Amino acid sequence: MSETPTTQPRPERVTLFATCMVDQLAPGVGESTIEVLEYLGLEVDFLRDQTCCAQPAFNSGFRSEAFPVAKRFVELFEQVEGPIVVPSGSCAAMVRNYYRDLFRDDPDLVERAARVGDRLYEFTEFIDRYFGNDAISGRLSDTATYHKCCHLIRELGVDRPPLELLENVDGLEMTPLERADVCCGFGGAFSVKMPDISSAILNEKLDNIEATGANNVIAADTGCIVQMQGGLRRRGSKVQVVHIAEILAKSISRTAQTGIRTG
Amino acid sequence: MTDRAKFISGVTTSLGHSEVHTPSPEPATAFSDSDEDAKLKAAAALAVATDRANELIEQMAKAAENTGWQVHRVSNPEDAAELIADICRGYDATSVLRSTHGVLTDIPLDVAVRDTGVTIDVTESTDPGDTTDSSEREEAKKAAFSADVGITGVDYAIAETGTVVLHPRKGLSRLVSLAPPAHIAVLRPGEVLESLDELFAMERADFLSGTLSGSMNLISGPSKTGDIEGTIVTGIHGPLEVHLVILGNS
Amino acid sequence: MKPETKEFRSKAAQTLKNKTVLQSLEHVYTGFHEGRLKAAADTPDWEDLRTKGKAIKDHTIAHLDYYLGLLADNVEKNDGHVFFADDAAEARKHIIDLAHTREIKTVIKSKSMVSEEMALADALIEEGIEAVETDLGEYIIQLAGETPYHLIAPAIHKSRQEVAALLDDNFTVGDPIPGVDELTMLARAKLRAVFERADMSVTGVNFAVAESGSIAIVTNEGNGRMSTSVPRIHVAVMGMEKIIPSIQDLSTMLRILIRSATGQRISSYITMVNGPRKPDEEEGPDEFHLVIMNNGRDKLLADPQMRESLNCIRCGACLNACPVYRKVGGHAYGWVYPGPIGSVVSPVLTGLKDAHDLPNGSSLCGACHEVCPVKINIPRMLLELRWRAAEGKSDPAERASSMKERMLWKSWRIGMMGRRRFDFGARISRFLMRPISKHGWIKKAPPPVSGWTTTRDFPLVAAKTLKQRLAARKKSVDANRNRP
Repeated sequence: MSETPTTQPRPERVTLFATCMVDQLAPGVGESTIEVLEYLGLEVDFLRDQTCCAQPAFNSGFRSEAFPVAKRFVELFEQVEGPIVVPSGSCAAMVRNYYRDLFRDDPDLVERAARVGDRLYEFTEFIDRYFGNDAISGRLSDTATYHKCCHLIRELGVDRPPLELLENVDGLEMTPLERADVCCGFGGAFSVKMPDISSAILNEKLDNIEATGANNVIAADTGCIVQMQGGLRRRGSKVQVVHIAEILAKSISRTAQTGIRTG
Repeated sequence: MTDRAKFISGVTTSLGHSEVHTPSPEPATAFSDSDEDAKLKAAAALAVATDRANELIEQMAKAAENTGWQVHRVSNPEDAAELIADICRGYDATSVLRSTHGVLTDIPLDVAVRDTGVTIDVTESTDPGDTTDSSEREEAKKAAFSADVGITGVDYAIAETGTVVLHPRKGLSRLVSLAPPAHIAVLRPGEVLESLDELFAMERADFLSGTLSGSMNLISGPSKTGDIEGTIVTGIHGPLEVHLVILGNS
Repeated sequence: MKPETKEFRSKAAQTLKNKTVLQSLEHVYTGFHEGRLKAAADTPDWEDLRTKGKAIKDHTIAHLDYYLGLLADNVEKNDGHVFFADDAAEARKHIIDLAHTREIKTVIKSKSMVSEEMALADALIEEGIEAVETDLGEYIIQLAGETPYHLIAPAIHKSRQEVAALLDDNFTVGDPIPGVDELTMLARAKLRAVFERADMSVTGVNFAVAESGSIAIVTNEGNGRMSTSVPRIHVAVMGMEKIIPSIQDLSTMLRILIRSATGQRISSYITMVNGPRKPDEEEGPDEFHLVIMNNGRDKLLADPQMRESLNCIRCGACLNACPVYRKVGGHAYGWVYPGPIGSVVSPVLTGLKDAHDLPNGSSLCGACHEVCPVKINIPRMLLELRWRAAEGKSDPAERASSMKERMLWKSWRIGMMGRRRFDFGARISRFLMRPISKHGWIKKAPPPVSGWTTTRDFPLVAAKTLKQRLAARKKSVDANRNRP
């Protein structure tokens, strides 16, 4: 049950920012996000010109390349009103917490970015804020554990909502993950530039996941998902890594009632 | 320019200033609290130590146990002296060193210890003069390093953390509570401050009135280390065991 | 200490292969980190204390010149001596000269990272003066000829067998390994003898109190106390940022330092030194010297983006929380300060060009920021340093990126500046990678992501991007929310 009463007036229409990873690698996550939002009674728009929030270049230190891409993001999303929903804690954090640093030589742009950021929410954060974590009564029989994505918990402070949403899925047996809040080792370009360190951190995470005995590990950020699924596959594990939007979509879908399979 | 002036002027430049700016009051630090405020805080700390003496003793006992003191409760001076003599005997002590804290003469300690055949010496030079010379200091050091047990009272105790506070001075050496493999501290109600806030309020008041001692030691349990394989062991440099003898209301 | 920050990757790789060390590094999580989490949870006003600690440090650093002057005045008023050292060499020379003029034969050292910057022990020994580390961990690594592995537990990487080989003259590899108790008592006896003959001590400073000219030394072992009791001369060395304004501030700072460092509510010993001993005291140093060192800290101070790093109280919590530190260990960071705080200060103090792998050697998980007792935003500073290393904007000499990398991100940017090329890029990627994929996953990817597939499968780009899927279902809109 959601502890904080939702006193915010509910919007009727939202805009989805899919993120470049979802858009290109895991579009099913985007479709699931839309399904869930529509289930909640919302109209969802997808701006077809969207690309990326520029986090990859920013995190790698190439701010001169990140700047125009981020500026383009602001220019695009400031044209629409209402909440912007993002199925990624790290991308939401990029806009809300780091655009002001990226744009710091341009106070006007900082202001414009802040206005976009003020109405931009990570997916589970959005549901918690406007609908409450018991708003989705789905059903799905399977076993799972939950990994806490670093940017979601630390940059955005969103810790309980995903767990509460999952607790409300009837038939979904959740096992707590040991060291759930320890990084999976992704870190964007870090995972490619320092693969040995990234993988050492990942292996500890995967050991803990396998120790739960769950069939699935659920996460809220596609970067973590790709890191963990790539690692699990490499060690021959059958454990599936799934985005929370996909779980929730499956739980309310009239067709799939048992099992989780990524499309 | 002296080295100091050059150094500090470099810092001023790094701060982007051309001269030193006096800080405006910052609420988080007590720096600009008035002398009056400091005195009031210190007085309040002492008042609480008296008014809530029994409650604070209980808190102290619990906190001290948690931080590694072996806590003993006695209700009268004779029992206190007997207990301490027993503890010393338990260590097969042949020589014991004590400070000149009042409590240690308020209880018949010297007699009780000597009765068991153990020598007990006091950390105070026999020279009636006000200063010590280097041979006296060398003597004192040797005595501390060869003693089997060190015994002190407390200047304060801190209930929050289970801490004994000592201000080394004439009659209370730095080493008596550090060098021997066991340290016994005798505590009475009324000596316990509530927390670190009260202790440092007292220290600050002492400083402002010019009576700050040369040094202060906060002792919260035995000497310990976890430097080998993360395993905690006591007695690496200081006492392996520390005892807190709480002398209750007589 | 000579920086070896260039060796980050190779040293990290070595640690990753060393199962013994990795097992020892586990203690950092289960001992220190979990201890700190519990201590914070058990302290009702923990967040208020952090906020207060940050405010105290922010204020002090913002007026560092004022407080340094005050500190020096008060130390001298208490019959102490103050020496301001611009760099490590100057500080080291001053201490050696002092030892010579006072005819010092044996120096005992208590833990001080600043003294590591000076490589003081080695320098004293070269001058024919006995210099012995007295913190057990420091003693062990001194015997091993190594540098500290961690801020609080310098020998955490050493197994009991390795320690036995260093401490026990009678032990040879293959013998039954003495227990930790036995080894500790052995060290106690050896160091006792040194304490008894020591005529000078060099300690660090946890906090220097400006208003009274006092210093506070925090230990569990008691070597800090020995250092301020036994020798006739006590030298305390500090980085110039280690000041707090008032004695009263110690209650806040000690609470956040100790709980963050080890999870203890309080350490066994805290010693406050207010100058040399008083004339009627039976023991204690005749002389008290405070050496205040810059050694490049002015660069951090002058840099608005990096100044916050001077708030650090050297608790080590960021190391304990860091998933990278726990896998690569302390030596990988190549200089005095390991872990997240090291990744921030070492590049500025020793040179970003050589040290650029340090700020890049992070997944930006933010755990360091979360546990810092004074709320230092380390991730923000890591990102700042990454920018300087990538593009050299504030100083072209700092740029460490390769032409290849710069071209890569340039083409990334081009690919992200329009939706058509974004979709096209996805299409090209799929076209090229599909032949080497199976069930949507790639076992061996080409550059620039070849590093990934050394240890993980890499996903194949989807057949249709989300936009294409939605467009097909007539669900995408333009910026005016017009559907096609």
